[in-house]
Amino acid sequence: MSVRWDAVVDRAAADICETPSPLPRSVSRQNAGRIEVHLQLFGALAWMSAERFIRLELATTATIADVLAIVGERLGDGFLAQVLDESGSKRRHCRLFVGGYPVEDLQTPLSATIDPSDIDIILLIAPEGG
Amino acid sequence: MNLFRSQQFKQPVQEDTYVPSTCSLCYGTCSILAHRVDGVVVKIEGNPDSAIGKGRLCGKGVSGIMTHYDPHRLRYPMRRTNPKKGLNEDPGWKRISWKEALDEIVDVLRKLRADDPRKLVVQRTTTVTASRVPFHAFASAFGTPNFSVSGGGQHCGNGAHLISGIMHASWSIVPDFEYCNYAIFFGASKGHSAGHASCSNMAKAADARVRGMKMVVVDPMSNFASAKATEWVPLRVGTDAALALGMCNVMVNELGVYDGPYLQAKTNAPYLIGPDKLYVRHAESKKPLVWDGRTNTARPYDEVPAADAVLEGEFAVDGVLCRPAFDRLRLHLRKFTPAWAEENSGVPAATVRRLAQEFADEARIGSTIVVEGVTLPYRPVAAIAFRGAQGHKNSVYNFYAIDLLNHLVGAADVVGGCLGFNPTSHGHPETGKVRYIPSAGPDGLMVVGCWMGYHYPYPPSEPRLPKNLGLQDLFVMGMTSPFLDSTDREAMWEKFEVPYRPEVMLNFGSNLLMSIANKDAVAASLAKYKFIISFDVFLTETSNFVDIILPDCDYLQSLDARSNFPFIFSLPGGLGEWCWPIRQPTLPPDGEQRQFAEVLLELADRVGIRADLNAAYNAWLDLQPPYRLVGDQNYSYQQICDAELKNNFGSERGLDWFKENGLIKWKKKPEEVYWRPFVDVRVPIYWEFLKPIGEKIAAIAEPRGFKIPLEYYEPLPDFLPCRSHCCEKEGFDFYGFYYRDSVHTNSFTMENPWLDEVAQLDPFSYAIAMNRSEATKRGFNDGQLVFVESESGRKVKGRLKLTEGIHPEGLGFAAMCGHWTDGQPIAKGKGVFYNDLLDLDWEHVSPININLDLCVKVRVMPAENVPSDVGR
Repeated sequence: MSVRWDAVVDRAAADICETPSPLPRSVSRQNAGRIEVHLQLFGALAWMSAERFIRLELATTATIADVLAIVGERLGDGFLAQVLDESGSKRRHCRLFVGGYPVEDLQTPLSATIDPSDIDIILLIAPEGG
Repeated sequence: MNLFRSQQFKQPVQEDTYVPSTCSLCYGTCSILAHRVDGVVVKIEGNPDSAIGKGRLCGKGVSGIMTHYDPHRLRYPMRRTNPKKGLNEDPGWKRISWKEALDEIVDVLRKLRADDPRKLVVQRTTTVTASRVPFHAFASAFGTPNFSVSGGGQHCGNGAHLISGIMHASWSIVPDFEYCNYAIFFGASKGHSAGHASCSNMAKAADARVRGMKMVVVDPMSNFASAKATEWVPLRVGTDAALALGMCNVMVNELGVYDGPYLQAKTNAPYLIGPDKLYVRHAESKKPLVWDGRTNTARPYDEVPAADAVLEGEFAVDGVLCRPAFDRLRLHLRKFTPAWAEENSGVPAATVRRLAQEFADEARIGSTIVVEGVTLPYRPVAAIAFRGAQGHKNSVYNFYAIDLLNHLVGAADVVGGCLGFNPTSHGHPETGKVRYIPSAGPDGLMVVGCWMGYHYPYPPSEPRLPKNLGLQDLFVMGMTSPFLDSTDREAMWEKFEVPYRPEVMLNFGSNLLMSIANKDAVAASLAKYKFIISFDVFLTETSNFVDIILPDCDYLQSLDARSNFPFIFSLPGGLGEWCWPIRQPTLPPDGEQRQFAEVLLELADRVGIRADLNAAYNAWLDLQPPYRLVGDQNYSYQQICDAELKNNFGSERGLDWFKENGLIKWKKKPEEVYWRPFVDVRVPIYWEFLKPIGEKIAAIAEPRGFKIPLEYYEPLPDFLPCRSHCCEKEGFDFYGFYYRDSVHTNSFTMENPWLDEVAQLDPFSYAIAMNRSEATKRGFNDGQLVFVESESGRKVKGRLKLTEGIHPEGLGFAAMCGHWTDGQPIAKGKGVFYNDLLDLDWEHVSPININLDLCVKVRVMPAENVPSDVGR
């Protein structure tokens, strides 16, 4: 009972990073002004939306959340309800890729991605058994 | 002379080779070497180079050769000519070409997608693990949320997986066989039968027993695991929570044994709970508060050193009286006295006390050990559970109560303790892929680093009016759903305003009629579909309802790039090696067989969803530049497999490299295997989040006239009886249950003649096990033919096998016997179809995780005037 877990292990040496970021960061696009973004919807989102290819022009300071808000205005609440949960976070089974890399944090600025010109969004199947 | 002749006329061997690949006779997916001589597979053995099995292969695996060469394999597409569908309707199969088959299927799918893609139900078997991504990708691309897994769903770990995810960040749990000294198995056969990492676990378990690990098996029947155990503890079917809670009470309240530092640092035990059973939260940050024993104030959990977070006592925070979650648990456990546990489970109170004492003593709380130069906490005890314990109406609390034993003594993902299967991976040393680590989510509780789907265990989704037919959008703690087939499915869909109905099913290898519940319920559901397409290797009972059958390649003819990923599913837990094998064709297709994955690609092209399918593959496989599939290009499945392998292991290790080498492996680090001390996450010993979930579900359901029993959503576990425990009908004095026969997988392997021979030599496989003393009291004899009738009047017939190795109130059946299709003549007429006793509706499922209750109260009657060979 006397040994503390925190004292037993050397966390610093353990190569543990709880929030690994697979997203390559861009350093060259700062202050680039505006970005042209091509957004494409797949699967159920494509079927339910009037448009599946959407071209947007946004400030480089725009975030992914800003992109979704604009698309939501164009496509309606039905789209947003599929993509975002009640708290405004991205649904886990909605996968969003910027320049081919997955993005989970909707506050990620477009300027922080290596290629913000292509955004893909798809809904995957949530349940699994076995 | 004879030698001379044989040498003279024997053709020289042109080819003699061993092909490294992966078994698929169960979802354990062990690595194999297929020995091929002149185009014929002559033997299948384990691959000693692989961490998955390490050269060992079970009886099923070596028998795969007989499944492959079975003359009843399907070899060409067929279409039914009889429009009437029913259990006894002959489909009138007619051979058609692939062009005819796909033309018709494409036409059906195009029209359906234009109308509403959600009307497509995609259904697959878990036996072929690698079918998961191709079918998920196709369903995602098509746009349906309706996906189901029969057999593996309701009859596997529907409850166990989600709770293993919440508490261990993994699909399942297993003792750390290398170091564990005392393991209790509750209705689990890890290391003694089929299942996750089966062959690996068999060796590990055997070595552990030789080393001296004490193994206690809690089970209504003494068979596969119990036979090798140090001690078998028979209990009343479905009462595992009663025993586990009794043990927890003894440990905490009688012995005063628990791992305080673990509970403080790694669980929500110190979080303060108010009178409303919810966390007491900081006014601004909303973080749960703990009582800081150093300052005597309530502070957010992440601002107080773990050692200062108080576990017991009553405190006032802004005038509200509250207690730490652990104190709540401690008080809650008091009612589960050993005498109470005995009354409910049938396990003597003295045994409850002894097991608790042994578990507590063997835990060696506070000890450490050095493993490969790393000092780690050492808790060489484990309590594991699986299908048997959680296959009940009380599914969640049965498993939760059992796993509490581990968390009370800190034996969770540390040396010797209860391990998740590989919850943490730092990735391949050269590429860093695939890397995943659990992280802290809302309230500091653990979010898995890797999961099988996107229905994550924690945080649970917000309940909402369901958009999917399984209703998991509403019952958010559920996984595989019974409501695709239940007798009340239409009423449920209507009540919860599901705006469409299923019309087309795309099935892969599932024999739904046998692998869900009683055949009449499932048949009624299947008959409602306008069109059913099924990939199969044999005709099954379900084929009677299928419109077009597509002849699939089997595992010896197929290619898969990820036969053992995710690692949380079927890679062995514990120390050893990470291992990524592939499955590759050892033999060509026979006749017109085609592998399902290629057919799905062609369907996608012709339905016009190839770009969607490419995007879905990118998402499911996490393909990143330059390996992402582009636009609507027509990739073959080989190219997709090649892309995934290069994406994960570098451009020089594509499909050709893997075909040559079979697999890639690298060493696991102690910090990966025993990750718990290194990762700053907590797990809930008090499931505060359940209460609001239950209330939100009730808020949606009850205005629609649907009562939600909120006792299933309380934050602390309880023993809630199954319907069978409440049956008071006269004469119904046995609890029917089934067990997994170690030589068979679901119903699929019943057709294999070698396995059939083994099963015929086993006196139990095709019989009904009854306690000998109870049989004598009732005048039943060994071998007697009997009817078994459920409370609702469903009947099966079989022959008794009397034994001392079964609980007096239990009636044991080997699962998934009793085929009746002509398409599987070896399997036909053997054994008893237990699932035919199971009712399938809301009243028979867990109201929280919608898991089907697999036990049923029955009466047994002599089957008089029946010829003695019937049922053999």
